[in-house]
Amino acid sequence: MDRREFLKILSATVAGFALFGCRDGLLGDMPVKGARLKLADFENEVKFALSKMKPGMELVRVPMPAALKTPGASQENRFGMAIDLDACDACGKCVLACIQENNIPLSAPERANRGQFMHWIEMCGGAPAMCFHCGDAPCEKVCPTGAANHTPDGVSAMMYKRCTGSRFCGANCPVHARKFNFDDPVASGRSLKFNAGVPVREKGVMEKCSLCLQRLQDARHDFKALHPGESFRGRGVTTACAAACPKNAIIFGNWLDEGSPLVRAAKDRVLYAPKAVASLDPSIVYMRGHR
Amino acid sequence: MIFRILLYAGLALLLPGLAALGYSLWEGPAVWSLDTHTFWGTPVSLFVFWIGIAHAGTLISAILLALGVPLDRRTSMLAELTTLCALLVAAIYPLMHLGVVENFYMVIPFLDARGSFANVRSPLVWDFCCIAIYAVLSLVFFAIHLFADRSQALEDVRRPMAWLLFPLVLWVHTIVSLDFAVTFVPEWRGAFFPLYFIAGAIYSGLAMVNVLLVAEGCRVRLLEKLMMVGSFVMLVFWAWNFALKGDWNFSVFAFGALLPQLWWVSAVRESPIGRLAISISVLFGLWLERFFLVMPAEPRGFGYVDAGLVAFSIGLFTTLLVILRVKLRKPIEGGELLFGELEEASAPVVEPHTEPLTSREFIVLRFPLLLGVLVALVYTLWAVSQPVFDTVAVAIPNVAPLFYPIVALVAAIALCIRPVWQAVSAHNADGCGSRYLKIAFAICVLMFAFFAGVFYAGGSSAPSKFTSYAQVPGEADSGAFDTLRTRAVWNARCSGCHGTDGKFNAKFVREFYPVPQKLTAARLDSLGEDSLVHVIMYGRTNMNPYGDRITEAEARALVRYMRSLAPEDIPAPEINDSTHEINNSTPETNDSAEVLQ
Repeated sequence: MDRREFLKILSATVAGFALFGCRDGLLGDMPVKGARLKLADFENEVKFALSKMKPGMELVRVPMPAALKTPGASQENRFGMAIDLDACDACGKCVLACIQENNIPLSAPERANRGQFMHWIEMCGGAPAMCFHCGDAPCEKVCPTGAANHTPDGVSAMMYKRCTGSRFCGANCPVHARKFNFDDPVASGRSLKFNAGVPVREKGVMEKCSLCLQRLQDARHDFKALHPGESFRGRGVTTACAAACPKNAIIFGNWLDEGSPLVRAAKDRVLYAPKAVASLDPSIVYMRGHR
Repeated sequence: MIFRILLYAGLALLLPGLAALGYSLWEGPAVWSLDTHTFWGTPVSLFVFWIGIAHAGTLISAILLALGVPLDRRTSMLAELTTLCALLVAAIYPLMHLGVVENFYMVIPFLDARGSFANVRSPLVWDFCCIAIYAVLSLVFFAIHLFADRSQALEDVRRPMAWLLFPLVLWVHTIVSLDFAVTFVPEWRGAFFPLYFIAGAIYSGLAMVNVLLVAEGCRVRLLEKLMMVGSFVMLVFWAWNFALKGDWNFSVFAFGALLPQLWWVSAVRESPIGRLAISISVLFGLWLERFFLVMPAEPRGFGYVDAGLVAFSIGLFTTLLVILRVKLRKPIEGGELLFGELEEASAPVVEPHTEPLTSREFIVLRFPLLLGVLVALVYTLWAVSQPVFDTVAVAIPNVAPLFYPIVALVAAIALCIRPVWQAVSAHNADGCGSRYLKIAFAICVLMFAFFAGVFYAGGSSAPSKFTSYAQVPGEADSGAFDTLRTRAVWNARCSGCHGTDGKFNAKFVREFYPVPQKLTAARLDSLGEDSLVHVIMYGRTNMNPYGDRITEAEARALVRYMRSLAPEDIPAPEINDSTHEINNSTPETNDSAEVLQ
C-alpha cells in the first residue's frame, strides 16, 4: 500500500465514521411536525406514572417555615405550600395540572418504562412530591453559573438561559426533584404548548418545580400597576396544582403573611418534611393530624 | 517499531471513538446516561481517571525533582509528556459532559461585559480554574525541561517550578475530589476523599508510566517499588470506605490490589509482558473504581457509546503520546541511553541571606512568589465581593480554593520570564532555537489575549434561534384589546426589562444587555407600527422573540400601548449628520420597546 492509497483509505474511514456518528440527523427520524399530541396522551402518561409510583419518603416533623436568613431576603414574603396528607388521595390531578401550566413534555417511551418522567410533581408513596424550595438549597450552592438561584421571596428558581447542563444540581438534590432535558422536547415531538406564558425548555437544560413563578410575577406586576407604593404579599395567587386539587389538599400561600390561606391552614397542624431535606429549611411541607 | 504498533493501535481505537464522541455531542447526554438519580456518567469517570494520570505524571517528575530524588531525564520527560497528553484527554470530557456545551464559558469566575459572575461557591468553578492553570503550568514545565539542556538559566528554574507544581498537583486533585465530597450523595461523602483521590491518581499514574516504560523497552525499579506501596495504600482506603459506607467492589479489589501483588514474583517482574499485564490491570481496576464511584446507584448503563468514549480516550492519548514522543525524539533521548537512578548533580548554590530586597535569591525566587501571593490576595478579596446574586453570601472559604493556583500561575510566569528572555537572547545568534521560543511566546500571548477577549465579551446575546416552535393553541385573534388587558400583558411580559411605566428597569437591563439608545414618540412613529410588531414577534439583537408567547394582535396592541407611554413633550434629540448616519444604520438596537427611557 503506497502513501497515496493509505491516505485515501484513511480519509474514507474517517468520513465513514463521521457519517455514522451523524446518522440520526441525516437519515433517521427527523422531527415529525404532523403528529399532533393531544391532552389524552398526557393524561395517559400521568396514569402510567401513577402505576409506577415511587416509594414514600421518610417524614420528620419540622417547624413552620420562617423568613429566609440570606442577605437581601424579603422579610414580608416567603412563598410556599403545604400538602395535606389527610386529604390527599393521590388522584394525580395536580400532576396533570402542572403539566398543562408548565408545558412539561412527555418522556421518551424507554425512559417512561423505567419510571423516569419529566413531571415536576411525582407521587411518592401516595403523596405528591416536588421541589421543596429549600431555604438552604444544596442545588444552588453547586450550580457553577448561577442558573439555579433563589429569589428574595423564597422560590428556588431556574434561569434556563444560563444553564450549561452540568447536572451538578441534580446530583446534589437529596430528593431528586430536578429533571434534565435529555431530549429536545420540540424536535422529538413530545411537547405541547398548553400555556403561552411559559417557555418550553431546550435540550440540555435542567428544570424543576418553579412554584408557578409566572403566576406570581404576573400578579406582582398587576398589583404594582394598580397599587403603586404598596408591597405585594402574594394574596390571591395560587399554583396550578393547588388550584386543580379536588380535595383542596395543596395550599399555596405566603408563610410570613398571617392572613394567607397557607398560614391559616397550617397553624394548628403538625408539619412534616422528608428527612433528607428537613434540615435544609424547606418551603413546602406536609401536614398531617391536628395539634 | 514499537511506536508504530502503538500508533496503529491508537488510531484503531481513536477512529471508532471519534464516532462515539460525535454521536454523543450530537445527541447530548441522553446517549450515555442515565436517569433522574444518576446524572453523571462515563465522561465524568473518564475525566477523573485521566486527570489522575496527568497528576501522577507531574508528581513523578516534579515532586521527585523537588524532593531531590534523582530520576533520569528520559523517564521524567516521559512522565511530563504523559501529563500533557492525559490533560488534553481529560479536558475533553467535562466539556462534552455538559448539556449545553457552548455555555461552558459561564463557569469562568471573571467579570464579563455584562457584569455577570460565576457562582464561586460551586466546586465546578474551582475545578475549571485549577485545571486550566495546572494545564498551563504543566506545559511551561515541560517546555522548560525540553530546552533546559541549552540554557543553564532554564535548568535553574526547574527546581523552583517543581516546588510550585508539587503543592499544585495535590491542590488540584483535592479540588477534583471536592466535586464529589461536598455533595449530598451518600456514597460520595467523606473527609478522606482528597487523600483517597490523590492516592488513586498517583497509583494509576505510576501504572501508566510503567506501561510506557515497557514500550520504551526498559524499567525503572523505583517506580515499580512505588507501585507496590501504592497498592497497599489504596487497599487501606478501600477498606476504610467499606468500613464507613459498606461499599465494596470485588473486581476493583482484584484488578487494583490483588493482581499487583504479582510484583513479588520475580518471573513476572522480569518479563516485560508481566510488567505490562500488572500495570494494565491496575489501570483497568482504577478506571472501574472511578466508574462505580461516579455512578453509585443501579442501573449503571454501559453501552456502545460508553465503550466508544473509553476507546476514544485511550486512542487519543496513545496517538498524541506517540506522535509527540517521536517528534521530540532528539531532545528527549538526548545523548543518554541509560535509564534508572542517576548520580545527584550538585545542587545550585543559594547565596546566604544578605540584602533582603536586592539579593539574587529575592529577585529570582522570593519576588515571584510574593507577587503571586499578592495577586491571589487581591483576586480573592475582589471575588468575595462578587456574589452571583444579591441573595448569595460569598465567604472567603468559597474563594479560597482558587488561591494557590493563582499564586502558582503568577509566580511561575514571573519566575520564567527572565530565564526565557535570557535563553532567547542567548540563542539570537544561531536563530533557530530562539525562533521557536519566540513563536511559542507570541502564540501564548495571542491565545491569552484571544481567550480573555472572548470570555469578557461573553456569548452572543442574540436571541435563541430555537423559538417559536410550539404553537399557541386556541385563542383566536380577537383583534381588539382594551387598554387594561394590554397593560396586563405589558406588565407581565415587557416590564421586566422595560418597566411598567416604559422607563427602563435600568439595573436589570444593564446587567444583561448593553443599554440601547433612547427612543421618543417621534422615533417610534418613524419606525412604524409594523416593524415594531415584527421586532416583538421575531426579536432583534438583544430583544428576545415573543412570537411563541403572544399573538400578533397582542403585539400590535402592545405597540400602541407603548406609544401611549412615550412622552410627547420630549423632542427628538438634536443630532448632527454623522450620528444620524449611525443611528440609521442600527435602528435595531433599540427595538420595539427597549425604547422609551
